[in-house]
Order: sequence, then C-alpha cells, then structure tokens
Amino acid sequence: MAEDGVFTEAWVREFARSVAACESELTALDQLAGDGDFGVNLRSGLVAAVGVLDRGTADGRAAVPRRPRAAHEPLRVLATAFLDEVGGTSGPLFGLLFQELAAAARADGPRLTTHALAVGTGRGLAAIRRVGGAAPGDKTLLDALHPAVLALAACPAPTPPVRALDRASVTAWDGVRRTAGRSARRGRASYLGERAAGVPDPGAVGVALFLTTAVRPVTVLAPFLKAAGAPVSGRP
Amino acid sequence: MARYFARTTGSLVADALEGFARAHGDLVAYHPEHGYLRARHSSPLRRVGVVSGGGSGHEPLHTGFVGAGMLDAACPGQIFASPHNRQIFEASRAVARREGVLHIVKNYTGDRINFGIAAERLAHERVPCARLLVDDDLASDDPAVAVGRRGTGGTVLLEKLLGAAADRGLGLEELTALGTRLAGRCRSLAVASAPPTSPTTGRPAFELPPGVLEYGVGIHGERAGRTLADEPLDALVDRMTTSLLAALPPPPDGGLIALVSGLGSVTRLELYAVLRELGRALDGRGLALRRSLVGEFVTALDTGGFCLTLLTTDEEATGLYDAPVSTPAWRW
Repeated sequence: MAEDGVFTEAWVREFARSVAACESELTALDQLAGDGDFGVNLRSGLVAAVGVLDRGTADGRAAVPRRPRAAHEPLRVLATAFLDEVGGTSGPLFGLLFQELAAAARADGPRLTTHALAVGTGRGLAAIRRVGGAAPGDKTLLDALHPAVLALAACPAPTPPVRALDRASVTAWDGVRRTAGRSARRGRASYLGERAAGVPDPGAVGVALFLTTAVRPVTVLAPFLKAAGAPVSGRP
Repeated sequence: MARYFARTTGSLVADALEGFARAHGDLVAYHPEHGYLRARHSSPLRRVGVVSGGGSGHEPLHTGFVGAGMLDAACPGQIFASPHNRQIFEASRAVARREGVLHIVKNYTGDRINFGIAAERLAHERVPCARLLVDDDLASDDPAVAVGRRGTGGTVLLEKLLGAAADRGLGLEELTALGTRLAGRCRSLAVASAPPTSPTTGRPAFELPPGVLEYGVGIHGERAGRTLADEPLDALVDRMTTSLLAALPPPPDGGLIALVSGLGSVTRLELYAVLRELGRALDGRGLALRRSLVGEFVTALDTGGFCLTLLTTDEEATGLYDAPVSTPAWRW
C-alpha cells in the first residue's frame, strides 16, 4: 500500500485518537511546565480536523475528495484546523509545521515520500523558529522537532516513509527526554525557571506523539504480519 | 470597588466593536466572522495595504485609526491579548494591494507570534508581506531582556506617517525602510499615579501608595521598573524629556513631533498642561516643537497616567504628518 491520502488520513485520525486518550496527561504536564491549556488546545485542533475529514467543509464541498486522494490533502486539513481554530500560541505553531508538511507533500505528488517528510519538517522547523524566535535547546517543541528533522534528512531517498518516520520518532522522544533536564529560555516554561526542572516540555511531547502515531500501528503489527507471511504495508 | 459598564466582562470587546461599527459606519466596516475592521475608503494610489492590531483595552488604538490616510484594517484581540493569526491573515488578504501588505506590530511576544504566523500563511498564498516592529518604549530598554523594548505611543504616529506614505504610492520595501527609519527616531515614556482596574476581578492591577509615581509604566498594568516620589509637573515632564532626548538622535533642524496621550483616566485639562511643560522644556534646550497632538491615543483601560512620545522630524516626516486623514479618532 502506497503512502497516499489513505495513509495520511489514517495518520491524522490516529494522532487525534492518541491525543484524546492522553489529554489529561498532557494537561497535567502543561500544568507543571506552563499554563495548562496545551492538551485542550491540541485536542480542539484535532477534533476540528477530524470533523472536516468526516463531514466535508461548511459549504458542502468535500474538503478531501473521496478517492483517489493525494497525501497532502489530509495534512492540509490538519494545518488549516490548527491555524484557524486553535487559540494560544503553541497550537498555531503546530499549524505551521503541518502547513509546510502539506506543501512539501503536494510538491512531491500524490504519494508521501521520505523526501517530502524531510523537506516539510525542515521548513516547518524554520518557520516556527522565524515566528517564535526560539532555538533548539530552549525547552520548546523544537527540541523534539530538530532531531526528527535531522533523522529524516539522513534517510537515503529509497527509505520507505514509515521507516523514516519510525527513526524520526525515536530521536524525537530522545529530544523530549532532554527537555526535562533543561531550563526554559522561551515559551511556556520560561516563566517558571527552576520550577519546571525535570518536566519534559509538553509541546515537544506533542511533536513526538505526532510522529509516533504515523508508525505505531504499523510497527506493532509488523512482527505479526511478518510471522504470518503477509506483506507489511506502509499503512497504519 | 471599581467596575466597568459592561453587559458581561466576556462580551465587552465584541459588544464595543458592534457599537463602534454603528457609530462610524461611514468610515469602517466590521467583519464579525473574522473579527477585523476594514476601512471603507482608501487611496487608490496605494500599492500596499496597511494592517495593524493588538489587544483591546487601548482604545482608540487600533480601531480608531482605520480609515483613509491611515490603516486599511485593524485586528483587535481580547482585552490585553493578541489577535488570533486568522484575524490577521483574513484582514491582510482582504486589503492587500498589488505589492502586498505591511504589518505594523507592537513589540510584544504574542503580537509578534500571531502576526508572524499570519505572514507565513500569506507567503503560502503568495501575498507579499513585511513587518514594521514598533519598539519605542524607553522604560523597557534593557539589553538583558531578549524581547527588546515594548511598543507603545509611537505606534499611532507611525501608523499616521506610514499611512500617508502608502497614499503616496510607496512600494513595500520603501515603506518598510521608511518605517524602520522613523521607528528609530521615536521614543515614549509613561508615568502613572494609579493602576488600571482589572475587568475580571474589579481590583487594581497593582497597589500604589499615595504620593508615589510609577516611572515607566506599561500599557497592560505592568508596573514600572522603578517608582518615584511625586514631584511638581514641570520637574516631572523635564525629567521625562531629558530621558527621551537622551535616547533619540539629535533632530537635524532641532524639530520634534510630540504626542501626549492619556492612559485612560487623566483629563484633557491635565494633558494640555503636560504639553505646556513639554513645550517649555524643549524651548529651554533650543529645540522646536513642530507639531503636537494631545488627547487619548494609546490607553491602558483606566490607568491614571500619561505617555509622552517624541519623534525627531524632518521636512518629509512633517509632510506625512500633515497629510489628510479621515478615521474615527484622527481626521483633518
């Protein structure tokens, strides 16, 4: 199965399910290292995105054409939901990442490529840095995104996107762990100083979760499928 | 306990915007679905749309300056909160001209981020966009603070001068360069003898004993870096003038434009008296007050204080200041 719109739509839906399942944990993290609204904001963006995927747009046209659909379309829905509907600052900053991912996926054609993932996350990282002024190491979402961008860029072109995303998500979680040991210079935790020590940055957790949800169902299933002799698809 | 006249605290901004649109329907149109105000009339010579915005509670900033000769659109946020990037994005798309749109942004983290996100979105739509950051507040001029000086009273002067420059058909790059030069020649300083009242709690934003002034107060109820024992008005204005002039480049022909803005609960009677002292302070230094404007321009709810803004002017800037303008809060 190719990494087309079916793959990216399943990715967005899995991200939404994961965030819904751990919203209270995200909120608890953000209460320790921020103002406590991150889980709610992330969830509201995903509810809006899934709503569009389910219903089509308000004017009655399908936001995502039924079939065949290109990989960038569900990512574009995700981007617009986060840019338009989510309050605060970190939600719309996620929207910038999704916007660049969607644009890079669109440029590469109907199927999601490892190249598009590398280019899109790289441009997303640059856009978030331009707008927010933070740098990797400041204890923000960039601390998960930056290593993920490097990991994706290091994957040779023939690497299947799911394998590339798997590697990226591993490095993103390493980045999340490092944020716990840092004090913040920018963003939500910068107002708390030492009080946020030991707490991983919720925005970084959000990025790692996003990358993980693209591959988790596949990586969980893969050994079973292999054992059964079934082909391992790129579809979560 | 002080209180505001409002239907509910939460609806105050939306209610005020509806009323504002009713009062000034000949000059502005309100777009409630995207939350911005747009000028009904704008020079056809403009090649660039001019957009500003920021938290509410600073009226007449920014809504009062939408109209011919100043802003094409303004995006008001909730009280003391940045507008949403969608407001800015939609407003910018609506008023962009052939050469795009200029964002006039007060230097606060939330405003920078939301205008920045809107600019990123505009880039994806191929709408050229540039930003002029207004950072005129002397009180926050501390190299140790990464975010830099805040934006305050100078915003109004820059909106006026850049609006006039846009009317002359300047392109996006020229306009941004002019704005950057003017912003570098503009500094403000505010003092307060009474804090603003929080609309949600009805309590003062901070405690200030009688006989004491906050020297360098912010426009969101931020305390100043220091307090000062109250002193006669001439001495206070002279002190402020000294601080402002030390931070400004020397005027080429000794000319300045001044803005004296009440912060919310200071009478015009007092503000004109402040201008008298400013004029005397400048006379004493051999400097000329070429133009002056007195009233409420950038307020901070009901803060009991005033803000002095000085801009070193030249023939070009004075000409832009004098150009015609027709907005709810500034017209000639």
